[in-house]
Amino acid sequence: MISDEQIMAQIKSDIGDKIADITIQAPRRIHLHVKPENLNMALAYIKEKWAFTLMSTISGVDLGEQFEFIYHMANLYTNINVRIMTPRSDPKVPTTTGVIPGAILYERELQDMFGVVVEGIPDSRPLLLPDDWPQGEYPLRKDWKWERPVEVIPGGK
Amino acid sequence: MEFTVPIGPQHPALKEPISLRMTLEGEVIKGVDIKLGYNHRGMEKLAEDRSYIQNLYLTERICGICSFSHTTCFAQGVETLMEIEPARRGLFIRTLVCELERVHSHLLWLGVAGHEAGFDTFFMYTWRDREIVMDLLEMISGNRVHYAMNTFGGVRRDIDELQRKKIADSLDTLTKRTEYYLKIGSSEPTFVARLAGVGPLPKQMALDLCAVGPTLRASGVPSDIRRDDPYGIYAEIPFEVCTSDLCDVLGRVVVRINEVLQSYKIIDWLVKNLPDGPVKVKAPRKVKPNEAVSRYEAPRGENIHYIKSNGSDKPERLKVRAPTLANYPATVEMLKGQFIADIPLVFAAIDPCICCAERMVELRDQGSEQTRIVSFADLRRLAAQYYSVDRLQHKEVEWPL
Repeated sequence: MISDEQIMAQIKSDIGDKIADITIQAPRRIHLHVKPENLNMALAYIKEKWAFTLMSTISGVDLGEQFEFIYHMANLYTNINVRIMTPRSDPKVPTTTGVIPGAILYERELQDMFGVVVEGIPDSRPLLLPDDWPQGEYPLRKDWKWERPVEVIPGGK
Repeated sequence: MEFTVPIGPQHPALKEPISLRMTLEGEVIKGVDIKLGYNHRGMEKLAEDRSYIQNLYLTERICGICSFSHTTCFAQGVETLMEIEPARRGLFIRTLVCELERVHSHLLWLGVAGHEAGFDTFFMYTWRDREIVMDLLEMISGNRVHYAMNTFGGVRRDIDELQRKKIADSLDTLTKRTEYYLKIGSSEPTFVARLAGVGPLPKQMALDLCAVGPTLRASGVPSDIRRDDPYGIYAEIPFEVCTSDLCDVLGRVVVRINEVLQSYKIIDWLVKNLPDGPVKVKAPRKVKPNEAVSRYEAPRGENIHYIKSNGSDKPERLKVRAPTLANYPATVEMLKGQFIADIPLVFAAIDPCICCAERMVELRDQGSEQTRIVSFADLRRLAAQYYSVDRLQHKEVEWPL
């Protein structure tokens, strides 16, 4: 078991030229910022090196011009949050199922909710949204608003 | 020849709406496809235009069994963002409710496992004992399902000496009975024969598919957020992480019973070491821009909330991942190669979440149309009164027959 600082130093010396930023926000909360093309390399590296096998989930945030996706990775003593940014005009992220097979449901959820294209995803069908959901509507984008339709009871008052 | 059989979204064998499409060859499952979304309520979107304190009550309604897991996970994250240190006594009471909730959830699950295996006596026994825990929870919080105990900076209700004594007394009964269930669960020949080897999940596959909680621990991985990423006061509490190398449904039963026994020890420790002081500290209403990742060991596994604040009294983003979702990819693999009769058992073995609970009962007097609403306590009193009269002529029998 090694400390967060040691992990940070090791990442900096091994793949320092391919990462944008690395910080420790709180104990056991390492934040790593990479470019989308380096995502799989970074995940494979931390999985190989310190057994970061558990992908807890993928959080997406709509920042306006850009989308931010955070891959919450954990092992048995700490966790690393790997962050990537992708432009809103052409949202694309690479699939991580090659490294973490259990990521499939989270990636399908991202596609449904943010309309991002996960390149190379083995199964790209919608996961959560209904079958008759209109094309091009992505609920978790900030500009998506929903108003409750007026309820009509058939044969009612 | 292969068939595709739809199980769900509404199906007598499943307790929640989920669609499983089984590709069968004879009675053997060859492939499984899961479709979700029948219970999707858009809570993450809803959370973005609710204030933090409103969201506390919204997150409570994510689940009807582990409701406290979600509020604790959310409260922890928001406390980090607010940069406040929760009151120590409050943390103890919070942990006490957490562990009681784990006990009631696991006892509920044990009953369901017994029921799915055709061992209904086990189901009735464990649910009887679960009632003791539910009564304790009601005594502490005033509610049986949505406890509404958490607030930012601590908890909303204190517990007194009498309640501490009641908890300690109930623990004796529960420990004795749970040890008996462990004996049955791991040695009763028909029960063991039904569960052993069903729903196999090898260790490496469990890790690859990101399984969490008792499902992962039953595949021999000692992963428990309470120990790996200690929150609250778990770093101080002595307890063991229960694992099993059986990698099947039997292993999941053994892990959960052992965990219940560990929880009793934790509750005992908490009640004995409860410090004095206030139960909560004052929390600010607005939160400056930041982000927090909060992890929590719910009864079903790791629960994670990601909260991003933007300086107002509402979160910019709240991402929730409940443990059941993490276990779905593993369930698909567990079902492959199994028989169709094993579906309820294997699916129930990950303990999928169910919502429930009704508190008011309408009594209709026989013969007249008069109705009246009674409280649960009154209903219980009426029931006791009804059965105090010996309505059946019991014949005394010598045991064993």
